[in-house]
Amino acid sequence: MPPKRSAAPPKPVKPSATATASVSAEEQKPAKKPADSFDELLETYYKGKHLTDPINTAEDKWTLLPAFLKVKGLVKQHIDSYNYFVNVELKKIVKANERVVSDVDPQFFLRYTDIRVGMPRRMDIEFDAPITPNECRLRDLTYSAPIYVDVEYVRGKQIIRQSGMNIGRLPVMLRSSRCVLTGKDEMEMAKLNECPLDPGGYFIVNGTEKVILVQEQLSKNRIIIESEPKKDIIQASVTSSTHERKSKTYVLTKKGMIYLRHNSITEDIPIVVALKAMGIQSDHEILLLVAGTDMVYQDTFSINFEECSKLKIFTQKQALEYIGTRVKKMMPRPGMLQQKRPPEREALEALATVVLAHINVDNLNFRPKALYMAFMARRVIQAMVNPALVDDRDYVGNKRLELAGQLLSLLFEDLFKKFNSDMKMSIDKTLKKPSRTSEFDALPLLQNGAGLITQGMNRAISTGNWSLKRFKMERAGVTHVLSRLSYISALGMMTRISSQFEKTRKVSGPRALQPSQFGMLCPSDTPEGEACGLVKNLALMTHITTDDEEEPIKQLMFALGAEDITLVSGYELYVPGSYIIFINGTCYGLTRYPKRFLETFRKLRRSGKISEFISIYINNHHNGVHIATDGGRICRPLIIVENKRPKVTSRHLKSLAAGRMTFEDFLKRGLVEYVDCNEENDSHIAIYEHEIGDTTTHIEIEPFTILGAVAGLIPYPHHNQSPRNTYQCAMGKQAIGAIAYNQFLRIDTLLYLMVYPQQPMVKTRTIELIQYDKLPAGQSAIVAVMSYSGYDIEDALVLNKGSVDRGFGRCQVFKKYVTTLRKYQNGAADRIGDIKRTVDASGASVPIGKHLALEADGLAAVGEKIENEQVYINKQVPVNTADTPQLLNETRAPDEYKDAPMKYKLMDPAYIDKIMISTAENEQTLIKVLTRQTRRPELGDKFSSRHGQKGVTGIIAQQEDMPFNDLGITPDVIMNPHGFPSRMTVGKMIELLAGKAGLLSGKLQYGTAFGGSKVDDMAKILVDNGFSYSGKDFVTSGITGESLEAYIFFGPIYYQKLKHMVQDKMHSRSRGPRAVLTRQPTEGRSKMGGLRLGEMERDCLIAYGASQLLLERLMLSSDVHEVDLCEQCGLMGYSNWCTTCQSSKAVTKMKIPYAAKLLIQELLSMNVLCRIKLKDKFPSSI
Amino acid sequence: MSSEYTNAGTVGDRSYGQPQQQSATMHYLCAECGVKVGINKGEPIRCKECGHRILYKQRTRRMVQFEAR
Repeated sequence: MPPKRSAAPPKPVKPSATATASVSAEEQKPAKKPADSFDELLETYYKGKHLTDPINTAEDKWTLLPAFLKVKGLVKQHIDSYNYFVNVELKKIVKANERVVSDVDPQFFLRYTDIRVGMPRRMDIEFDAPITPNECRLRDLTYSAPIYVDVEYVRGKQIIRQSGMNIGRLPVMLRSSRCVLTGKDEMEMAKLNECPLDPGGYFIVNGTEKVILVQEQLSKNRIIIESEPKKDIIQASVTSSTHERKSKTYVLTKKGMIYLRHNSITEDIPIVVALKAMGIQSDHEILLLVAGTDMVYQDTFSINFEECSKLKIFTQKQALEYIGTRVKKMMPRPGMLQQKRPPEREALEALATVVLAHINVDNLNFRPKALYMAFMARRVIQAMVNPALVDDRDYVGNKRLELAGQLLSLLFEDLFKKFNSDMKMSIDKTLKKPSRTSEFDALPLLQNGAGLITQGMNRAISTGNWSLKRFKMERAGVTHVLSRLSYISALGMMTRISSQFEKTRKVSGPRALQPSQFGMLCPSDTPEGEACGLVKNLALMTHITTDDEEEPIKQLMFALGAEDITLVSGYELYVPGSYIIFINGTCYGLTRYPKRFLETFRKLRRSGKISEFISIYINNHHNGVHIATDGGRICRPLIIVENKRPKVTSRHLKSLAAGRMTFEDFLKRGLVEYVDCNEENDSHIAIYEHEIGDTTTHIEIEPFTILGAVAGLIPYPHHNQSPRNTYQCAMGKQAIGAIAYNQFLRIDTLLYLMVYPQQPMVKTRTIELIQYDKLPAGQSAIVAVMSYSGYDIEDALVLNKGSVDRGFGRCQVFKKYVTTLRKYQNGAADRIGDIKRTVDASGASVPIGKHLALEADGLAAVGEKIENEQVYINKQVPVNTADTPQLLNETRAPDEYKDAPMKYKLMDPAYIDKIMISTAENEQTLIKVLTRQTRRPELGDKFSSRHGQKGVTGIIAQQEDMPFNDLGITPDVIMNPHGFPSRMTVGKMIELLAGKAGLLSGKLQYGTAFGGSKVDDMAKILVDNGFSYSGKDFVTSGITGESLEAYIFFGPIYYQKLKHMVQDKMHSRSRGPRAVLTRQPTEGRSKMGGLRLGEMERDCLIAYGASQLLLERLMLSSDVHEVDLCEQCGLMGYSNWCTTCQSSKAVTKMKIPYAAKLLIQELLSMNVLCRIKLKDKFPSSI
Repeated sequence: MSSEYTNAGTVGDRSYGQPQQQSATMHYLCAECGVKVGINKGEPIRCKECGHRILYKQRTRRMVQFEAR
């Protein structure tokens, strides 16, 4: 950027002149390297705003947003999480499992001293060459990097140190710190065939792009109080999660008494017994720890002592014995001698390691755990006394988001443990041998197991099945194929959050929009139907935290004057005015000055002394100060307000615009801070500057950031009925447009591209931020809102044939066809055959019709048109692929081949766009053929505006017949006005108005949510240019030449072409193929299927009494079958013969559906006999 | 002639079917350096200049007619 500043003209220019001036400055400046595409937003000139222009804090604080998006947000959380995994988590995992020892030789050990991940490398012959993501996509490879470890181990008598041992390959997230694309500018990206606008954050496994969706979960290691009024249960539950163990502990009420429940204990343990077992023997102490000095709480709790004394449990030993007899016996570990332990020990072990597993018990010091359990009991009592004190599971502050990094670390830990135990097993096996030929070296074993980690990772990501035996975790559908339908769909996928709730449950709670989602999750972007509300999307300005160290915070807490909680009694704990300090849900300290503690803590955070993502807030319901350092919290930046003044001033924004400050500087200087959902509840946030009052603590950076990336495309969404915005969020992902700068270098299975995409006339800030204007998916159509021809009912659109001819809605469809030339076990291999030839009328040798497109190499010619049934890859496979060696007298020739050509299956012809030949990972030849179709809009193609208003083309009218205004302009699209009243999409009308004003003034207008160009200003521009302020024009009919009786609402609206096109759906059949099993017509267009006359249609025919029609549709046109039926036994025979009766006497023929015959026979095979008894409907005796 | 049709790498000395009418060495374009690479049937897919393993088929010299609508 530096050269730019000097090139800028010194004096401020008038806004109108600025645009032109900026262009000239652009031309003058020397070629510079744009490091990031966000740079443009931070440049000296941005959208006609110059550095020296006055900056208004209230209006221009949005400039913080591009600065934020440069470092955080959108997909950066995926990347941050992956980087954290690779740089920190991986080392922790290895540290925790660093030693491999042998049971056989106590001298032996192998220790991992370090682990690191290299850069992505290819696996070919030239092993050590870097590989690019696009090559992986094209060659169906995995974009992965080797994992290196340093080890030291015993060989013979000495310890060997070896560094840089490869133990497997880790798939690399694009744009992460291990990716070749990091830090590359637009130029270098182009060289690597990558799109600079591509968000990254996904993996490439076997050539497919896979996204690990963000998973939403209830937070771990936190107490959640729930009540079930029906069963009269109030329970406090904690899901403990450590590296070793996952378990759930409950403290719950049953008939007014409190119990401890855990999976590893067979029955509920009275809470007093549990606390006694943990060493709090005095009833008085228990009472104080649970209820404090509050009389009501004490009364509620005291009943529990009775139960305990009834059981005659007074000492810790008695309590432990009581629990010990109820502990579930764990499976004895194989190989380990399991001696019988007294129940006392059993209970001690269970309480120390399994119950509330996340609280460590060091040296049998149960105090912290007992305190925790007592606190759980206290929360239950509080909820018993005041039912309002239960927690809300759906509250965003109680949720944690699991990202790719966390999921991968779970998977890697599992694989690494398996890897080590496998290695230990084979070490034991070798060392067990009494005499070895050579000295035992463990190194080769290290390399042999590499496939385990590589394949385990690849398989999990490519199938999406995360199965971890350790945690009994079995999750399917974690990963999805990155949808490349449009740029927006890819981007939308990266911000998607999927919830762990089952979709079938009919509870509305998890689906409902939570007030706490404000600013964190997009209120509009959710699918309709079964996943509604369960699949969410992140808002624009969110960040998801990664884990932070807890230990320094603990020390800081004491340094700030907190008392150690294990040193105080229950009396002091709950004395009014004293607050317990929780770090990640576990109580550690006590303070009598919570407010001061909180303020000092925040001050430290704002000054950058501790991580900006650590949140602190006070909960006044149970007198607690909560500090959270854990990962997976959603947070967002807010501007700090002090003394009724936002800390960000115009001076700061000027420095930001000039590039002297970055978002990080704003954080460091304490002008802006990250606030998570819980802390948000502790703050008073103003949206606009004039709302700042005495108690205001923060101000929003920009209100439109409550929407996500996809909802941000909608102009004036605040003027629309809310479901319309939700509809648009779903449809924006189906719009055809530009996908990426490298779209023509990609070979996707299915790729839709628009031929002439345009950026919208009415933009939003979000559009600029996500750079939708660079990869748009739609065209600005001139729309006339009027009725025309009757082919426009039910939201159908009238298209102008002239516009269609000129390229409106024109799109290209690319399809990929792949094959590999396989090599078989016996040495045979697939090959590509020759063109078959015939002699034509003139006697010349010409290729047969099917092979017309082929060239000498047996592949179709690039550029050639291929029609249905034509061959494009003339593949042949060997007849004999058996592994067993052939006998000498075997007659089959060793190189006999049969044709297995790839034929073009679609009815509409296509052109061969590209043929790629390469080799896959296993050295087999890979051939990818890309075909291209160019499609112009036709009747039935689907279009939509950006307001959830979709419609199909009803008619394509001649341009001559279209109405025209007094400038002679004909509309591209005519939309029926009936689309407006019930949909209430006022935003669309304003879009038209603003777009029209934009056209006339030669500027793009803004329709940013909660802001944007004002209607009054737009009306002014229209009037100034001689148009009606209302956007209505005087229009003449193109058919009659009469002027229309009404003024017509006329102007540009951004229209998207959706992927649903008639050509892909059109289908009919008279006779055709039938399914083998049922002999009914096949199903589906791809199988030339029939059109089903379903149950409801059948009901209609029955109700109407059209029995003959019913018979024809369901029998004659379907699976009619003639059976030989024996009237005597009611069973089916054949050829006029009943096998059961051994006669042909009573055999008659009748027609039944083949499916019915099949059913009877299937039942028969299950020992269920069906007899068909025939009776005369009209007996002849009458 | 059939010696020209030796297979890539692992398979070794397998002979390949009946002899071809023309032993047309097809030329492909390297995706990396853009150079023309002549590849016979069965040869490993690899650019002879830079060793890149992705090749594209050249556009045909045949006449192609489009329907311009």
